[in-house]
Amino acid sequence: MNKRKSSVFDGIFGDNIVLSSLMVISPVIICGDTLKNAVALIYAFSTITFLAVTVSSFVPSKIPYTIKVIIYALISSLIYVPVKWATQEFFPNAIERIGIYFPLLAVNSLIIFRSEAELYKLPKGTMIMKLVFYILGFDSVMLATGFIRELFAYGTINGKIADINTLISGLSQPFGGFIFLGLFCGLYRWICSAAMSRKDEIRSDADVSGK
Amino acid sequence: MFLVNDFIALLAANLILTQALGTSTLFIAAGSRKNLIGTAFVITVFTFFGSVSAYFTDRLLPEKYSDIKLLIYIISIGILYVILLSALYFISRSKFENSRKYIHLSAFNCAVMGTLLTVSGRAAGDSSLKSYITVGLEAGIGFIIAALILTAAYRMLNSSKVPASFRGFPAMLIYLGIISMAVYSLI
Repeated sequence: MNKRKSSVFDGIFGDNIVLSSLMVISPVIICGDTLKNAVALIYAFSTITFLAVTVSSFVPSKIPYTIKVIIYALISSLIYVPVKWATQEFFPNAIERIGIYFPLLAVNSLIIFRSEAELYKLPKGTMIMKLVFYILGFDSVMLATGFIRELFAYGTINGKIADINTLISGLSQPFGGFIFLGLFCGLYRWICSAAMSRKDEIRSDADVSGK
Repeated sequence: MFLVNDFIALLAANLILTQALGTSTLFIAAGSRKNLIGTAFVITVFTFFGSVSAYFTDRLLPEKYSDIKLLIYIISIGILYVILLSALYFISRSKFENSRKYIHLSAFNCAVMGTLLTVSGRAAGDSSLKSYITVGLEAGIGFIIAALILTAAYRMLNSSKVPASFRGFPAMLIYLGIISMAVYSLI
C-alpha cells in the first residue's frame, strides 16, 4: 500500500482544489484567459473564501447539516458585498469582465462543502494553515492558466505584446479553457505520481541501506 | 425540422458547454444512470423555482440594493432546499434516505446559482416571467443533455486504455472541450 501522510501544504501540490478535486473550475475555464482577469479572480476568491470559511468555522457544529450549509452560503454572500465594493475601488473594470463568475465565487465548493467535510474537523490553527494553502493552490493554477492562455491566445502578457509566432485563438474560448484545463490536470497528475514514485524509491533505498 | 432547430437552440444555450456552469456536479452525476436522473431532476426543480424567485426578486428589489441580490437568491434557494427535503421526508422515509444526496448536491452549485444570475443578467432584453421560466427550464434540460453526452463516453474515458494521468477527470474535461467546440460552431 502506498499511503501518504496528508500535510497542510497539500493544497498547492498533492491535493490542489482545482487540479485534483475539480472544484471552482468554471471561473478558471471561462475567465482565466488573461492575466488581468486572473489577478481579479485571485483577489476575489482569496478574500471571499478566507473570510467566509474563517467566520463560518464559528457556526456551532450541532446544527443540522442542511441549515449549516445555508448559513455558510449566507455568510459568504454577506462577505461578498464589501468585497465587491473594494473590487470596484481597486479593479474598476474587473467586475464587468468577470461577470456572473464574481458572485458565483461566494458559493464555491470550498466554502460550502469542503470546509464542512474536512476543514472544520481540524484545530483552528491547522484549519487556517490548510485553508491558506488551498487558496494558494487555486491562485497558482489561476495565475498559470491566465498567463499561458493570454500568451498563446492573444500573443500578449498582461496586455503588452509579446514576441510569439504561434497564436491559438481558440484558447481564449470556453472550449479552449476545457481542453487546456484537462491537459493541465493530466500533466499535474503525471508530475505528482512521478514525484511520489521518486520519493518511494529514495525511501526504499534508505531502508535497504539502513539494514 | 422544428425539433432539430429546438435541439440546436438548446445546445447553444447550454450553460455547461458554453459557460462551464455546474461542470463538477456533472462529473459526479455522469458516474451512474441513477445519479444522473436524480441529480438532473433535482437541478431542474431548483432552476425552475429559482428562476421564478429570481423574477420576483428582480422586480421588487430597488436598483440601489442590487448588491444584496445574491443574498436574496441564496435565501430563496435555501428555503427551496428545506422545503424539498421536508416534503421528501414526509412523503416517504425510504425515498428521503435514497434521494436526499441529490438535493444536497444540487442546492448550492454553479449550475443553479449560475442560472439565476444568468437569467437576471438577460432580463434587460426580456424581463417577463415566461423568459425567466424558459431559461430556468432550459438550464435543467441542458444539464440533462450534457450529462447524457458525458455518460455515453464515461466508461471509455475511465478505461485502462487511457493513460493513468489522463484517466477520469482530465479526459472528461478534454472530451467536454471537444463537444463544446462543436457547439461553438453552431452559434
